[in-house]
Amino acid sequence: MSETRFQRMKDLPSTHLLGAGTAMCAGCGALQALQTIYDVLGERTVFVNAAGCMTLLSVYPFTPFRGSWLYTAMACAPAGAQGVRDALDILIAKGRIPPGEDLSVVTLTGDGAANGMGLSSTSGAIERGLDFLYICYDNEGYGNTGQQTSGATPHGARTATSGAPHGHAGFKKDLFSIWTAHRPAYAATVIGAEPLDLARKVEKAASLRGPRFIHVLAPCPTGWDFEPSEMIDVGRLAVRTGIWPLKEYENGQVVHTRTPHPRAPVEEYLRLQGRFRHLFEPEPDAETLGSIQQRVDDYWEAAG
Amino acid sequence: MTRALLTGNGAAAWGARLAGVDYVPAFPITPQTEIIETIERWIEAGEMDARMVTLESEHSMVTAAGAAAATGVRVFSATSSQGLLYAMEMLYGVAGWRVPLVLVNVSRGVSAPVTLEPDHQDVLAARDSGFLQIHCSTCQEVLDGVLLAHRLAEDPRVRLPAIVNLDGFYLSFTREPVEIPSPEAVERFLPPFDAGSTRFRASTPIAQAVAVLGGGPYSYFRYEMHRAAEQALGVYAEIARDFARELGREQPAVATHRMDDAEIAIVMIGSFATKAMDAVDRMRETGRAVGLVRPRLLRPFPRDELQRVLSGARGVAVVDQNLSIGQGGVLHAELSAAIHGQPEAPPILASFIGGLGGRDITTEEFFEMVEVTRAAAEAGRPPPPRLLYTEEELREVRKLQGIALAERHEVGPGEAHASRAPEGSGS
Amino acid sequence: MYRIRLHGRGGQGMKTASRIIGSAFFAEGFEVQDAPRYGAERRGAPIFAYVRASLRPILERGVIRRPDLVVVADESLVQVPAAGVLQGIDEHSLLLLDSLEPAEVWQERLKLQGPVLTMGSQAEGSSELPTVGARCAGAAARLVGVISRSALEGAIREELAGLGDTVVASNLETALASFDAFASDEGRVCPPEEAQLAPHTAPAWVDVPHDAAGISAPDVHGAATSVQVRTGLWRTVRPEIDAERCHGCSWICSTFCPDGAVLATPEGVPRIDYDHCKGCMICASVCPHHAIASVLERDAS
Repeated sequence: MSETRFQRMKDLPSTHLLGAGTAMCAGCGALQALQTIYDVLGERTVFVNAAGCMTLLSVYPFTPFRGSWLYTAMACAPAGAQGVRDALDILIAKGRIPPGEDLSVVTLTGDGAANGMGLSSTSGAIERGLDFLYICYDNEGYGNTGQQTSGATPHGARTATSGAPHGHAGFKKDLFSIWTAHRPAYAATVIGAEPLDLARKVEKAASLRGPRFIHVLAPCPTGWDFEPSEMIDVGRLAVRTGIWPLKEYENGQVVHTRTPHPRAPVEEYLRLQGRFRHLFEPEPDAETLGSIQQRVDDYWEAAG
Repeated sequence: MTRALLTGNGAAAWGARLAGVDYVPAFPITPQTEIIETIERWIEAGEMDARMVTLESEHSMVTAAGAAAATGVRVFSATSSQGLLYAMEMLYGVAGWRVPLVLVNVSRGVSAPVTLEPDHQDVLAARDSGFLQIHCSTCQEVLDGVLLAHRLAEDPRVRLPAIVNLDGFYLSFTREPVEIPSPEAVERFLPPFDAGSTRFRASTPIAQAVAVLGGGPYSYFRYEMHRAAEQALGVYAEIARDFARELGREQPAVATHRMDDAEIAIVMIGSFATKAMDAVDRMRETGRAVGLVRPRLLRPFPRDELQRVLSGARGVAVVDQNLSIGQGGVLHAELSAAIHGQPEAPPILASFIGGLGGRDITTEEFFEMVEVTRAAAEAGRPPPPRLLYTEEELREVRKLQGIALAERHEVGPGEAHASRAPEGSGS
Repeated sequence: MYRIRLHGRGGQGMKTASRIIGSAFFAEGFEVQDAPRYGAERRGAPIFAYVRASLRPILERGVIRRPDLVVVADESLVQVPAAGVLQGIDEHSLLLLDSLEPAEVWQERLKLQGPVLTMGSQAEGSSELPTVGARCAGAAARLVGVISRSALEGAIREELAGLGDTVVASNLETALASFDAFASDEGRVCPPEEAQLAPHTAPAWVDVPHDAAGISAPDVHGAATSVQVRTGLWRTVRPEIDAERCHGCSWICSTFCPDGAVLATPEGVPRIDYDHCKGCMICASVCPHHAIASVLERDAS
């Protein structure tokens, strides 16, 4: 990544393109990451949005965007992106707008849509080689309806539809692998708590063409039940425990951009969050904790 | 039987619980989500013997619901607005399969622009699908409606799916006293699910919902759905009698309030109809001959009963919380078609559109709608359709437009922080 | 009919308060309607809930336009127009504020015709306490004068049953203390005679004009118009930068602020945009020099 303009924290913009005043929760990890993403992408973008928390970014007559925005529905944001991309290409090809009027098409979607309803339209868009950047802000549940279990909910987490004593029985879907199985132009995992890594990856994604994927883990004080002030701490621990591996895919290769060494025990990350409280109280649930740790250990062992 | 404070969503969940549903395919959407969360809790606690599965979309949810009903279990599900629209293809689909299931719709205005608050646009978009429709005005009617809908949908003379509709916020999140009947009383009213001959079994194979070639069979199958829905009118009258006997409440297909000698009638559906009742009572206190007609069944459309209760009235004020773009109020058009050319039909049918996207309808507005309709009856000429919308509301929108339509150069790129005026100077 | 409106911030328990009052009325034999009113609820954002109670069936629905009692759990909401705290208040409406300032100050400040009461028992930072809703419910129950102490107690036990004995006990203590504290104001809430029909004011209906689609479509052409929304009003605590300790590494606090509310001078000195800061305090938690303090909003200058 030697060509990056982001060599150190100080290189990150400290005045931001995205307007304040949105309805996102205080301490929103998705919004915090989006600040830097938008700074890097800039306003020559059209954000095509699927139903989710961020649908409320633009509420008539208010929008934080300097660039463009289109709300579609929950299932079909990539299809909306397709229509915008095709129309722009047609207009340019026919000389009805100058090339300078072109926009980058960005899909903005939560994990609920990305892992569920929106997956088929996403797969179709990648398969068609659509030139778009797909951003999934992942707060590991249907956050905007009160944190019900989604395809991204991790094992053991309590949600509005996964109760005690053990929390969610299933496992977080590996959306990154689903994407890379499609052999896209680029895919990366990021987190707002590691802004340099995030900025570099968004910068690289923006420089490429074709289907590109930025998967943002978005610590959610409301849905995960922690104090808003701890959002960055939660995010850093997601990386330090190895639960959220930072990596990127390009030309058929997956490379880890950060290898936590030594890895902190997963309990440090889980303990901060009310959604995992039942794993510690009234008695520690050693079995579930052990299996979460084991999965992380297995992942990194396989990653070499 | 107990009497408790329940939200409309809670009442819907209780309806499903008392109906003994087997299967609940689900997908969260505001303002419905509380229904499936409640059912999930009961299932977890062992208080309800059902299986709930969260699908990845309403399209899939309705598909799973229909398939389970076609396999032979009692099915309940719930959605709202965009979810109902998203499932639309499969609403037509499963109705055509002729499978009984109950879908609660918590009404909410549809996008665009996207909103969370209620009107009846969503459910009326489904009016041609083959789903029967029961519309509720109170939380009690929601619980009762789920039980009535199961019995109606499952009747072998009918076998069509049914929607039970309640308004978001005004019912879904509002607690009211609701009588929760005993399971024994419900069992007397609603027998165990009988799949009849329509189910998948190893011993009795069946090919359901197969394609047709040619208009002859297609017309037949489609018109048979219509015949079944017409049949449902008579069936509903029967089961409403049973309901009153076993559960002690009258739930007629068309509810009326002080219509005996009414010269002017208000016709509307949904939770705001109780506000209309209140306005009617107040107008009666001052000697005005006003009444309220509230179709509880909208599909099948209770044409004969509406003709009967409105016959002799001089004018009707139809209040539509929906808008068929380019046409007007849906209820107004349907009622016009129902009474046209009938002897004794009210000569004046005034159209009012109101309550879109949760907009309130005030008591004064009910008074005024009645006055406009009365004046029209006296003049012998229908008034133009009227949107319930005030000068003040238009002024407010103009203010918002002032912000939305501001020239871009007023806030140039990179200048936002300077123009943002921090430290409280923007007050 | 009793018409009660409760105002607070998301997370302060106004929905629970409305349910406690509703259940207590119900236990006393009233017909009841209670409901929270929120869109997409956000912690700190203004919300309200309402209760209607009557000995006859309730046909009214929706927002209460002319309240008999307005309970405000967070005094800072009074100045937030969008919260609508004072909407429909007239000479018959009783306003109850959770505030350390005396009622007369509020009466004068707001120029109200009707009575004002305050709950002076507010402990330090108590609008953040989980029992503020219970305090409001206890006071409201006494002020209407038709709810007994035991009905209030029963309602609290019923509504909070799922939260465990400790929570129930602390809420009971708070609510009953509040109920007792307002003994001398029992029955102060007076529902007016029901409005008569005639002469009613005809609504000023307007024929909505046809506007060109460029105007009448829900599009926002202005850039970053959201800065006009003062989300700083959500805040109950604020970050304050200690200029002595600040090393001017504004890229840190600014980058980690979700709302872009840490601004920087060209020299890199950070300052807080209080119009938009929601008080999440992330800046304080990431500041390497501990130069950002957490200050209660009502203690701030």
